[in-house]
Amino acid sequence: MADYQLPPKPKNSGVKMAKRIVIAVLIVLMYVWTFASIDIDWARAIERAMDNFQRVIPELFSPDWSAAGEVSLAMLETVFIAFAGSLMAAILAVPMSFLAASNMMGGKIFSATGKWILSAVRAFPELILAILFVVAVGPNAFAGVMAIAIGSTGMLGKMFSEIIESIDMEVVRGMEANGANKIQVLFYAVMPQIIPEFLSFAIYRFEVDIRASSILGIVGAGGIGTMIIFASNNRNWNEMGMILLAIIIVVTVIDFTSARIRRKIV
Amino acid sequence: MIEFKDVGLVYPNGTEGLKNINVTINDGEFVVIVGLSGAGKSTFIRSINRLVTPTTGSLQVDEEDIIGYHSGELRKLRTKVGMIFQNYNLVKRSNVLKNVIAGRLGHTGTFRSVLNLYKKEDVGLAYESLKRVNIEEKVHNRADELSGGQQQRVSIARVLTQQPKYILADEPVASLDPPTSHQVMTYLKKINKEDNITTIVNLHFIDMAMEYADRIIGMRAGEVVFDGPVSEVSEQTFEEIYGRSIRQDDLRGGAEES
Repeated sequence: MADYQLPPKPKNSGVKMAKRIVIAVLIVLMYVWTFASIDIDWARAIERAMDNFQRVIPELFSPDWSAAGEVSLAMLETVFIAFAGSLMAAILAVPMSFLAASNMMGGKIFSATGKWILSAVRAFPELILAILFVVAVGPNAFAGVMAIAIGSTGMLGKMFSEIIESIDMEVVRGMEANGANKIQVLFYAVMPQIIPEFLSFAIYRFEVDIRASSILGIVGAGGIGTMIIFASNNRNWNEMGMILLAIIIVVTVIDFTSARIRRKIV
Repeated sequence: MIEFKDVGLVYPNGTEGLKNINVTINDGEFVVIVGLSGAGKSTFIRSINRLVTPTTGSLQVDEEDIIGYHSGELRKLRTKVGMIFQNYNLVKRSNVLKNVIAGRLGHTGTFRSVLNLYKKEDVGLAYESLKRVNIEEKVHNRADELSGGQQQRVSIARVLTQQPKYILADEPVASLDPPTSHQVMTYLKKINKEDNITTIVNLHFIDMAMEYADRIIGMRAGEVVFDGPVSEVSEQTFEEIYGRSIRQDDLRGGAEES
């Protein structure tokens, strides 16, 4: 080895080191504190887990095929809820995104208002929205559709507005310079640039919504979640196994298909 | 006819883009504006279709002062004045035909254009324009599949489809290699002669300016420092315009190819 000189130590390395140690100690203390204060009877918990595992796991792996018909109907409803919800969201998100995009409506007030509304909408998890809509429209699939639609509008609106903000504005100005009016510019310069990405995100959101809508039945908003909660209350683990199998198959197939479609679009 | 009368332009940040410009450009002329970057060439050209707005003086296009123009009048002006850009400004994801027919937008009603209901003669005109720049075989290709020179030819076809009275070209060859640059300039010159469209081109390559221009306007620091027919221009004129001696990178070269 040649006689290379080592780089000089960064300045204040002692202070930095001390800072890191303090942070590490604080984090460890936080964990100790939380685990100490939640009162768990570890011995009993482990014993029960072992016991349940031996009983539940094998049953999960031998799904109840006689429930297949009922399960696939419920799964189909779940897919429909996700589809209707994400379609509504994709439509609602378009005007919201144009409002929120800083390069479209001209004016920071519009953009700030739009962004503020979208993040307010995004703050609610689907499950909370589902509870609200079950109260509002009754315990049925429509409540699930509304919950998915509103929940997805927040995310899609934000994504869409970011796509709009990233377009090539030179093309827009060029078209204005050649005598096109605002609406023509929208159709000829803006839309060709945004539509593929809009579609791609809408499909991705549909993928996410399948997973979200399979849980909504737990609060009575339709779909396969209703069956999950019944099966678990009745300790019917064979049926639960069937439900999980259906969810796994559908989610995998849709993920795969949507990935292929999205690759084609962009 | 385009007439600059004591035109000045001060940008909001205080930069003086144009100072006391007095220039008249007659119909059918092929004018090349030369100058170093930052000399005000772009500002000059962009004043004519009001992409920028002069702050003093009067700027007349066809005997009408355009400085006070608002949306409706501005669209009419821009329909009459076509523009070509350094980076082509094609919609990359749209096909060539759609890009070219966008040149008709100023002549087409909103309703028709949104529903793609172009008149047959407009589609024919678009295809004819593509033929004139020899790129008609790419009519159904997406714009991002074309090379830079091909994209610039498509943007010339777009401007032709617009059937303008004036063409402004802002550094149309700055992103192209020498042979392609000459090809693009040749097409611009041909269109100028055949259709009698007044053409104003910004360039910073001296040899290209000499080869294609009828008239050269030299700019430095926002002022016109030279204005005359190309026959009066010598290397010394360029040294005066640039305020320094001529260097190799002021030349594009490759004139014999096309």
